[in-house]
Parts: sequence; C-alpha cells; structure tokens
Amino acid sequence: MPLFRQMRIHFTLSEKMTNNTQNTDQEDLQRRPFQEKPRHPQKIQVDNEGYQPPRTGIFFLQALICLFFFIFVVRFWYLQVHRGPEFTRQAQENRLRTERIFAPRGRILDAAGRVLADNRTAFGLSLVREDCPDIPATLAQISAWFDVPIEDVRDKYQQDKAKIKPFEPLLMITDIDFERVARIESEIHAWPGLEIVVRTKRSYPENELFSHVLGYVGEANEQEMSADPALAMGDLVGKAGLEFMLEKDLRGNKGLYDVEVDAHARILGKSLREEPRGGNEATLAIDRDLQQAAWNALNGEAGCIVVMEADTGRLRALVTAPAYDNNLFAGGISKRDWEALRTDKRFPLQNRVIQSAYPPGSVWKLLMSAMFLEHGVSPRDTVYCPGYARLGKQIFRCWKKGGHGTMNMESSLINSCDVYYYIMADRMGIDKIEKFAKECGFGNLTGIELPHERTGLVPSRAWKKKRFNRPWVRGDTFNISIGQGSTLVTPVQMASYVSALLNGGKLLKPQLLDNMPPEVRKSIPCKDTTLQFVVNAMRKTASNGTARVVGRKDADMGGKTGTAQVVKLKLGANERRLKTSEMEYAQRDHAWIATWGKKDGKTYVVVVMVEHGGGGSRVAGPVAKKVYEHLFGPDNGIPPKVKVDAAQLPAAQPTQPVERI
Amino acid sequence: MPRSCQLPSPRSQWNGSDRVDKRIFSHLNWGLIGCVLALFLVGVSNLYSASGTRLEDGITMSDFYQRQLIWGCGGMLLMLIAMCVDYRKLRNFAWIFYLFSLVLLLLVPVAGKTVYGAKRWLSLGFMSIQPSELAKLAVLVLAARVLANDGLPLGWKDFIKVLLIGLVPCALVVLQPDLGTTLLILFILGGMILFHGIKGYVLKTCLVAAPCAALFMWFVGMHDYQRQRILSFLNPDNDPRGAGYHILQSRIAIGSGEIWGKGFGEGTQSQLRFLPERHSDFAVAVFGEEWGFVGCVALVTLFCLFLLAIFSTAAQAKDRFGSMLVVGVFFYFFWQIFINMGMVIGLMPVVGVPLPFISYGGSAMLVNFTLLGIVLSVSMRRFMFKG
Repeated sequence: MPLFRQMRIHFTLSEKMTNNTQNTDQEDLQRRPFQEKPRHPQKIQVDNEGYQPPRTGIFFLQALICLFFFIFVVRFWYLQVHRGPEFTRQAQENRLRTERIFAPRGRILDAAGRVLADNRTAFGLSLVREDCPDIPATLAQISAWFDVPIEDVRDKYQQDKAKIKPFEPLLMITDIDFERVARIESEIHAWPGLEIVVRTKRSYPENELFSHVLGYVGEANEQEMSADPALAMGDLVGKAGLEFMLEKDLRGNKGLYDVEVDAHARILGKSLREEPRGGNEATLAIDRDLQQAAWNALNGEAGCIVVMEADTGRLRALVTAPAYDNNLFAGGISKRDWEALRTDKRFPLQNRVIQSAYPPGSVWKLLMSAMFLEHGVSPRDTVYCPGYARLGKQIFRCWKKGGHGTMNMESSLINSCDVYYYIMADRMGIDKIEKFAKECGFGNLTGIELPHERTGLVPSRAWKKKRFNRPWVRGDTFNISIGQGSTLVTPVQMASYVSALLNGGKLLKPQLLDNMPPEVRKSIPCKDTTLQFVVNAMRKTASNGTARVVGRKDADMGGKTGTAQVVKLKLGANERRLKTSEMEYAQRDHAWIATWGKKDGKTYVVVVMVEHGGGGSRVAGPVAKKVYEHLFGPDNGIPPKVKVDAAQLPAAQPTQPVERI
Repeated sequence: MPRSCQLPSPRSQWNGSDRVDKRIFSHLNWGLIGCVLALFLVGVSNLYSASGTRLEDGITMSDFYQRQLIWGCGGMLLMLIAMCVDYRKLRNFAWIFYLFSLVLLLLVPVAGKTVYGAKRWLSLGFMSIQPSELAKLAVLVLAARVLANDGLPLGWKDFIKVLLIGLVPCALVVLQPDLGTTLLILFILGGMILFHGIKGYVLKTCLVAAPCAALFMWFVGMHDYQRQRILSFLNPDNDPRGAGYHILQSRIAIGSGEIWGKGFGEGTQSQLRFLPERHSDFAVAVFGEEWGFVGCVALVTLFCLFLLAIFSTAAQAKDRFGSMLVVGVFFYFFWQIFINMGMVIGLMPVVGVPLPFISYGGSAMLVNFTLLGIVLSVSMRRFMFKG
C-alpha cells in the first residue's frame, strides 16, 4: 500500500545521529552515502521507544476501513448492478405527478328550480414549462393562434410563472371556443408542453339581476390558501355574497390523480387516488320572475327592494340597483373593469339592502307609534298641529305647511303628521326610544346570510357623547321621532320589523335559502293590540292615506311612506321647498315605502327604497305597486274573501273607537 | 519523497518547534494531500453537475461549485497555517477551547436564531456560526489530551471522565435539537476510546447500556420528525411522498446509474429536481447517478485511501497526544463519510450530516481542511525528538 508510510529508516537514522554528533559532523553526514543505513539497524529500536500505538487500536482502525469498503461496495453493487435496471426504469418512467380533479361547485337555484349559478365547461390552453423546449417560440405560436398581441402573452406568462411550479400547467388562454379548440387540437402535437385543458367555469345566467345575492367566485389568494389547507393555487372560492357565505357547502371535495409521466412528459398511466365529490346545490327562496319584476319596477333608479314572507322570513326578492355583472369576476376580472366598478359614482358594488343605512324618514313612525302605545299613550290622545312645533327658539316644521289640525295617533300615521311625533317623543325621552328601537331589531344585524351586513344606527345619549362629545338635547329627540337626525336603518331591518308587526311580534331572520325553518331572533316588545293598531293604521294609509298608491281592491293592503331628507333644509322665511327635479341629485330626498299585502292566505312585506328619489308616495309607491302586481296579478277589483276579512276582524276592532273621535 | 535530506543545525533543533523548519516539509504526507485534492476536485466537479437545473430556457446553473472552490482555497490556506503550528501547542489550549465552546453552546438557547425550527446558530452580525461545530472539535482535542494521559487500558474512572467530556456538550446540542451532531460527537469519542483501549468489563457494560440508552432516547428524548425519519428509513415505500421521499429518490438516482453511469451532467433525477438536497446531503447520489457503480467504487476506494493515510499518521505519531489527536480526526471523517453515504444509499436513517469534500458547505470545508492541517502537522513532526 503506497499510503502506508513505512518508517523511513534513513530518516530516523540521520535524526538520531544529529542528536549525537557534533556540528562538525554535519557536512560529513551529508556526504555520507545512503547505503550506510543497514549498518546501524539497532538504532531503529531507540527511535521507537517514545510511543507505541496500541495494537488493538491499530487493528480496530484497519478493520473499520475494511468493513467500510466492503459494506459500501457491496451495497453499491446491490443498488446499481443487481437492482440497477429496476431503478433505471423507475427513474425514467415513474415520475409521479399528482393531478387535481376539480369537483363541480354546487349550483344555485331559485325557488322554482331555475339555475342562477351554473358550471360551464370552458376550454383553456396551458403550458407546462418543464416539457416545453422553446418557450419564446411557443409563446409566439399562442399569440398567432389566438390573435393576441405577443406582449400580452408574454406578460401573462411572466406574471404567473412564479406562482406555478415548472411541471404544473400554467393557464395561458381561457375560454376558447369550440371551433378553435378543434383547430388547435390538430396542431398541438408539434408543440410539446402545450395542452388543451378542460376547466369548469362559474357562470351566472341572470347576470346583474342576482349579482349582489350570489356574489362571485375568484381564484383563492394566499390568505385563503393558508387558512384552508384544502385549497390550492388556482382553486375557485366564493369572494362575495352567497358564494362566499355558503363556500363550505358549495365547494365539495377535489379528487386526485396519480399521474405517471415519462422523461418526455408522455402520460403513461393515471390512477385515481381520490374521487372528487361535487358540492351541494343551494336553492334560494327568491323567485327569479319576481326578482326580475322588481328590478324592472325600479326602472334604473338607484335603490333597493325587499320582498319578504311575513310569517317565515323568507326573502322572495332582494333587488339592489345599480348592479354589476358577476360573470366579469368568474374568469378573473380585468383591472380596467374592476377600476370602473370601484370608482362608479353610483356604487354598483354596494348591496344596498344590507349595506346601505339610510335615514328612514316617516316610515320610522311605524316604530314610534308602537312605542307610544307600549308606553301608555292612548290612541285617543290628541295633539294640535299648526304646521310646526316650537322648542325654545327652534322651530320644527311639519311637512304640511298649513298644519294638520287636531291629530290622534291613527290620523297622525295616516297623514304622517310630524308635529304629533315631536310632541309625543319629547314626552317619552330618548332613552325609551333607543331601548325600544333596539328591541325591534334596529341598530343590530338581522343575521341575513350575506357578508358585510351593516347595523344601521339608533342614536342615544352615550352615542352622541362619544361621537360628538356633546350632551343630548331635546331637539335631537324631535329629529329622531320622525326618522331624521342620525337615525340610520337598512331596508332589510325595516322589512324584518314590518313582518314582525304582521306575524305576532316575531322578529325573524331574513332567509335567503328555501326550505329553512323560520328562525325567530327575538320578539318585539309589543302587545297584540299594539301590533293590530299599527297594522290597521297602515291598512288605512294604503286605502286613503299617503300610501294609497299601493292600495288595491282585491287584496288586503297596508303601507307607510317615508321621505328622508338627505341635507338638512333650513328654510328662510320666504323660501319654499324645492321640487325634487330642481335639486342636485345627491341632495334629493330618499324615497321609502314599507308595505304589506295579504291575498289568498299569503302575507308579503315589500319595502322599497329609492335613493335620492324624492317623495315616498310619488316615487317609491308606484315601484311597490308594480311588485304587488306581479305577486297578486293585476287588480281585478274583487274584494278579498270573507275568510280573510274574518281574520282581520280582531285587528280592526280596537281601532274603531279611535275612528269615532 | 526525497531519499535523504539536510541535517538540521543543532541549535535550531527542536526547542523552537513553532519555527517552520524547511526540513519538515520533506516529511509531508504527500499521499494524504493527494487524496484530499482528488476528493476536493471530485466534489467540485460533482457540484458543477448538481448545480445545473433543466428549466424551460435550457440549463440554468447556480453558483454552488464556484463558491465551493473559493471555500476550498480558503480551507487550504487554513490547512497550511495549521500545518505549520506545532500540534503539541493544542494540548495547552484544549481546556480553554473546550470551555469556550461550552459557553457558546450555552449562549445558543439565549441568543441563537431559529432556522427550520431548530436553534443552532449564533449570529455574529457579519456571519453566523454553529457552536456545535466548534464543540465537536473541542471535544476531540480535549479527549485526545485526557486520553493521552490516561493509563492503558481505560478503567471505570478514566472512562467516565472521558465520557463526561463528551456528554456535557452533547446534552446541550441535543436540545437544539441536532441529533446528527450529537451522535457524531459520541461516535468520535467512542472511536477514540476504542482505539485507546478499554478494559473488557467496562466495554461489556457499555454494550449492554447503549441499547438501553437508545431505547430511552427513542421514547423520551426524540422529536417526532426524528422518529419519523428513522421509521421511514426502515420502510421508505410506506410513505413515498412524505418522509420517505428523500430516501426513495436517492435510491432511484443511484440505482439508475447502473454500471457505467449516465454520464457527467446527464443525471435526470438531479437535473429534473427529483432529488432533494442534491447540493448538500445528497450530493453523492448525483455522483452515483452519473458515474455508476464504477465511479462509486472508485470514490469509496478514494475515501478508504484517504482514511488509511490518516490512520498511518496516527500509527506513526511521535507521542500519544498526537496519535490520539489524529485518531480523533480519523473518526471525525470516518463517521461523517459512513453516516452520509450510508444515508444516501439507504443503510442509515436521514440525518443531516454532510459528506466531507463532496457536499457543499463553506464552514465544513474550512473545518475539514484545518483538521487535515493538524494531521499533517503531526505527520511532519513524527521524527522529532522531545525537546
């Protein structure tokens, strides 16, 4: 073994001698020929006397090295020679890849089973980087096939490159029409790395009609993926509306293929590892035709309509306008479209039914009158309305300049007299009003199954202190009493409250989904007589009061209008109120109407809000009327059956003495 | 090797042992140097191949091999310096060095930084060091010193004394947690003790006690991921996508090399990135894939020659301290080679131990060359007389 350095005797010798010889011997020694070595063999013994390595140790090390050599050579032989061909085949062929099988997302249907959100097969062209020998040429070919500028193709490629692993398909073109697919299919073999992929795409056949209810899906972002391990890059998840709220239910479970791919990316075999399981379908309580009719009734105005079943809380229509086309989002919304939607002055992304809180205006009187009754005010108590009420130096006007004269509770509701509410609310005080309004669901979420619902606002002493750092004054109570000031109500809250008036005081969760049992959130603190009084007053308002536009002979109808001022109008002595058409759009009043209608045993609540529409009875009323025309058909003039009347009797009775006054 | 050489002048003889004498260079262990250079070149060229990744735009190279070259040159410089220093000076610094590394180890839980869930590194601002690396060397040197003074063969008292030298830093290292380094320290120590010689009854007791300790570690001292590695080593096919992936892929890489290999730079397992950690712990799998059985046998032979060169230095050392020191270095390399290659070819569980001169690693390069410098220092001075 060359590496075993033998003791070099001649070395040892010379060193030993150095120790013994004098300086003068040095040259002599140098000159001494090498052959002298064997002449002094005994000196070797002397040299090694210092240290002897342990024999067992030496043997131990040698054995270790031999063992190491032996074991490893045998093992290499076993792996590379004995099992070599087997591993070679594995290396060549068994390049395991997993492929996801997309589970179809559950469809969303309307109450009659019409499809509102569907899955559509879409063809796309994807590129597997690792299998593609010439990327620039391939990109150029894609650009040629689809008449897309090469820059766009390159941008798309650069943008998604980092997100997708080299052996995973990178989707370059989505939504290819069938004709093109057929043509490309015949040429694609010349372009390794490219493949036609079939993806399901979410589509919303009703476009903007249901955009706020359904919301939309989009590709999962980092945050969503880290929160949910089942999600992977490119998966679609609900981002808004019901698609978001029902995500878990709609999504289903992905399946997995084990794909064996050879060195040239040819797929040799696919084995199913996990079967995909489609998501559940969801059926809405909303009726597509009613929704369409309500949409048409709004006639392009910004606003919203809630149609609710009073007994179950089911929402039969939930319209908000303007809306957007949620199909834009399904394939990934373009930056331009998104900017346009986001900056639109009419806020099409806002779901007004639950996200816009407006001052309720006179509709609020439905709450105030119930509250007065519950706090000991007799329906017989009267207030004289001279057209204004005085509070110190301040003057609070009634909407009717000449005044209503003597008003009791019922006539104040029918005529919507403001002064009655100023005076009565002042007697009650803000604390009672606040408590009562909150118990009726205002200032709280209704629990509707849509994201980002807003609570609205019921002002209170504490709120004003916190918000403005000012004490509550009586004037504030005056404003609150007629639904002005800081009072903010969402249309769905109002619908929920009116339903409670009709169903015996149950505040129901607004149900978007069909076949869900009614969910009572709480009961409003009103006696049955109180409820009946308010309902009856609404009935009279609809037959000959401010809401008579919704009145019809063939059904039992009730309503209350509201005109909510947006800007506090301080009128000078000689000024008159401007007509709606004379005002700036953003300063125009909000038009409200809260109505109910009973026909053939069904009770519906319809709440209409037209943003900056002007007067409630003039603008919102006709919209509600059209909704009822769809619900009940055109007015045929035949009064409702006696059976319905009889049901109304107990409600009508307590109001009779009031009528006599 | 020159057949003869100049005689030294008596005055400059052995009292000034730190003075570099021209003569001792002629005692250089050229075989060892040759082996190291060969290994180093094999490592760099293998890294060059492992740096290539086939991407869409052709082959992309990362700069691992260049950095390895630079580290290697730095290492050789350290080797030269270590070579010129008389190894006997180490004896004086053994305790200081040992205590210093213990202090650094104690600092790790306090001021260390966490990488991949383990606290092993101390940041010095401009660079980070791994005190467990220093501890390995410190234990080696101190054990060499203590063993050199102990009687032959080792009795209970001396055995426990030496064992304690290793166990104290091991306890600190295993908590980081770093099972690889802990085992390495214990194995080096064990090798040195066995070389030194130990009384039969002590050895027998240890042979009984060690499995018990191992069982205790398994159930109490180990982290789940460590247990998982050992389990997946025992049966890699159980979990081909999880913990067994490394083993399976490296076995496929090596096995698919067959007799003659796929050729330099042609390994599909590494080029297509099926092989994980192909620059560091699994570098030898790249080699096996591309050079085949023939290449692997050559590499194993080269490692054996390398180890033999160190071994012969230990056998010829002038004093027991030098001998023990070299034996320590021998085991330092031997266990790393054994554990790493054993892991790559599926004889050992996956433990993060690099292969000397083949795996990429700057600090490992510096340490390896420094240790070789010490070996050369012992080798060069093997004919000197005590001053």
